[in-house]
Amino acid sequence: MAILKKQSKVSDEIPSASMADIAFLLLIFFLVTTVFPKDRGLPIVLPEEQEEVEISQRNILHISINPDGTVGVRRGDSQNESFHRPHQIQQVWRTEVAQNPNLIAGVRTHPDAAHRYMIQVLDGLQMANAERISLQMGEG
Amino acid sequence: MSLKGGGGLQRKSKASDQIPSSSLADIAFLLLIFFMVTTVFRTESDRPIEWPEAEATQQIDETRDNIMYVWIERNGDIWINDRLVPLDAVSELVAPRWVESGRRLRISLRADAEAPYRYVDAVQKQIQQAGAIYVVFATDLERRMMRERR
Repeated sequence: MAILKKQSKVSDEIPSASMADIAFLLLIFFLVTTVFPKDRGLPIVLPEEQEEVEISQRNILHISINPDGTVGVRRGDSQNESFHRPHQIQQVWRTEVAQNPNLIAGVRTHPDAAHRYMIQVLDGLQMANAERISLQMGEG
Repeated sequence: MSLKGGGGLQRKSKASDQIPSSSLADIAFLLLIFFMVTTVFRTESDRPIEWPEAEATQQIDETRDNIMYVWIERNGDIWINDRLVPLDAVSELVAPRWVESGRRLRISLRADAEAPYRYVDAVQKQIQQAGAIYVVFATDLERRMMRERR
């Protein structure tokens, strides 16, 4: 029958010529909106409140950071304080911990000292694999 | 060599001089899927701070939902979630997040390199008061060369 043989001129396929354009449009959208997260830093674990531990002075290395960026280092059982630059702390810690493996770093930062100096000292200690670090604020 | 056809000047190469474009859509889709998978839409905007640098910088090993950002600017202003918050309010904001995260919350402390330590210490005390214990001092990775120049 004539009606059955009649063919439509309209194509029955989905046009795919513009597919690449759509893909590129979406691609550019995601390229522009993407922000790669920058979640990096120096991790520390704060002591829980009211958690105070008595430590023998012998096992403490007092590290005091001054506003001008100089760092005073003194062993708990001695009166002699030596002064260093923040980036030298790594070496200082390595020599000290070689003599006393139970050493704890007591970092005391002056309230006016820049945060950067504290980070440099903490960086040095973490590079030297120091695990027991206490952060305090000194007296202004 | 044949002398026919003007000494080779009219010889035509069979290789097409067009860049093949049939795989263009595939490349575009590949890149598209990569960006779709890696995209994280930003929830809060960054504050203009100078990042301190550290060589021991490491990636925070926690999902984004369990990281809370606390910004400390040079003048001591504290920003959380795009809002300027007073110092005393920090612990009230941290405490519910700490419980919600099942004691896994990491506080990313983004303090300006030049901010006086008193502000950093005050915020640290607030965090401790809220019961949270995991703090990460946000830093940029430092190159060894730059360290030696310092």
